[in-house]
Amino acid sequence: MKKHILEVGYGSVSKVRIGDRLPLAFIGGPCAIESREHAFMMAEKIGEICRRVGIPWIYKSCYDKDCRSAPDSYHGLGVNEGLRILADIRDEFGVPVVSDFSDPAWGPATGEVCDMVQVPAYLCRQTSVLRAAAQTGRPIHLKKGQFMSPWNMKNSVRKIEAAGNHQILLADRGTFFGYNMLVNDFTCLPIMAKTGYPVCFDATHSIQLPTSMGNISGGQREFIPFLVRAAAACGINALFMETHNDPDNAMSDANTVLNIKHLENILGQAKAAHEFRLEMLDKYGEDNVHPEK
Amino acid sequence: MSTPKNKMLVCDVMLSKDRVPVVQEEEILKEALEEMGRTRLGLVCIIDANHKLLGILTEGDIRRKLLKVQKPFSAFLVDDALEHSIRTPTTIRPDDTLEHVVDVMGQRQIWDLPVVNDGGVLLGLLHLHPAVQTLLGRIE
Repeated sequence: MKKHILEVGYGSVSKVRIGDRLPLAFIGGPCAIESREHAFMMAEKIGEICRRVGIPWIYKSCYDKDCRSAPDSYHGLGVNEGLRILADIRDEFGVPVVSDFSDPAWGPATGEVCDMVQVPAYLCRQTSVLRAAAQTGRPIHLKKGQFMSPWNMKNSVRKIEAAGNHQILLADRGTFFGYNMLVNDFTCLPIMAKTGYPVCFDATHSIQLPTSMGNISGGQREFIPFLVRAAAACGINALFMETHNDPDNAMSDANTVLNIKHLENILGQAKAAHEFRLEMLDKYGEDNVHPEK
Repeated sequence: MSTPKNKMLVCDVMLSKDRVPVVQEEEILKEALEEMGRTRLGLVCIIDANHKLLGILTEGDIRRKLLKVQKPFSAFLVDDALEHSIRTPTTIRPDDTLEHVVDVMGQRQIWDLPVVNDGGVLLGLLHLHPAVQTLLGRIE
């Protein structure tokens, strides 16, 4: 199995390499771009925290949230204004940026600005979206649908590969356990890693209770640190968390985003768990408990 | 004048490549089983883009795996076929004598032998039944 290493970042931004035994990378930011001022303020604060922790990071924020629960939920600033802000954040802070896109027609513009493009979990098997993501030529953050088995993500990977892109990061963001409830099956991570692509754990969406509050989603933020430690110990190459300075008033995912006051603490633990896992691999060897070996 | 039976070569009797079940290396087990079902040979050859033989997968391999692999069936079927194949199968050359390779089949209790060239490229497959029938003089 060929282990792929992703390099996220073009031009003058600090490139982030993800995969195999490289340092843990962080992908994070506010769920939606709320305003230019807010996006810049968050980029500055997160950047300072990541520098203190010593963790490479990619700024994530979306310009159009197309999977909100209600028709009047905040959608975002739209593709043009949103991408202008992301481009300016790249220039100002030298950080790679990622946004998802839900409409294949937005793919080219998203790829032109973003260092990485993200495929939303609900659309993870949508051929037109996967093809559009692949055609950007950028690394792709592909989230496992809450309804998908980890082994069937291989079909989505093959769709991207068939469109000529071999830079994929596969993420777990929880799996439906009945209605309005997610669980994390950490075997997802080694199973998806068997594709040879690096894997990511999306901690803040994993604690979501999808549309549990009638017309919005709830969440159990208190479990974020537990799941982060477990995922990093299990084996991930990147950690994804949405964060906000004022979660109660966040315009998207208010019940799941991590308050930025906890970010340094959580990232520090994730980094330590990741490094300890690598030490264990050096000491005890690769995991090889397998009935066929 | 026909060739004496003990001088006949593999290339005289082997199945040509279009009659051999073949899948590419990235194909999944489910596709390999479907390809296996296309013929009645009970195996499939796995090749790369240059037609080099990478492994073979037989019905016996699947039978043994079914008793050993404990993962869900849907996960098993989406595994790469290559993952469950024999990576270093016994192979023969087109200019090997039929008599010799039938001996090899007998010694190793195998019914099918992939035929490859010196570069490991798959050229065809020798199946036991036509080989023996030819040696017995029932097929010219």
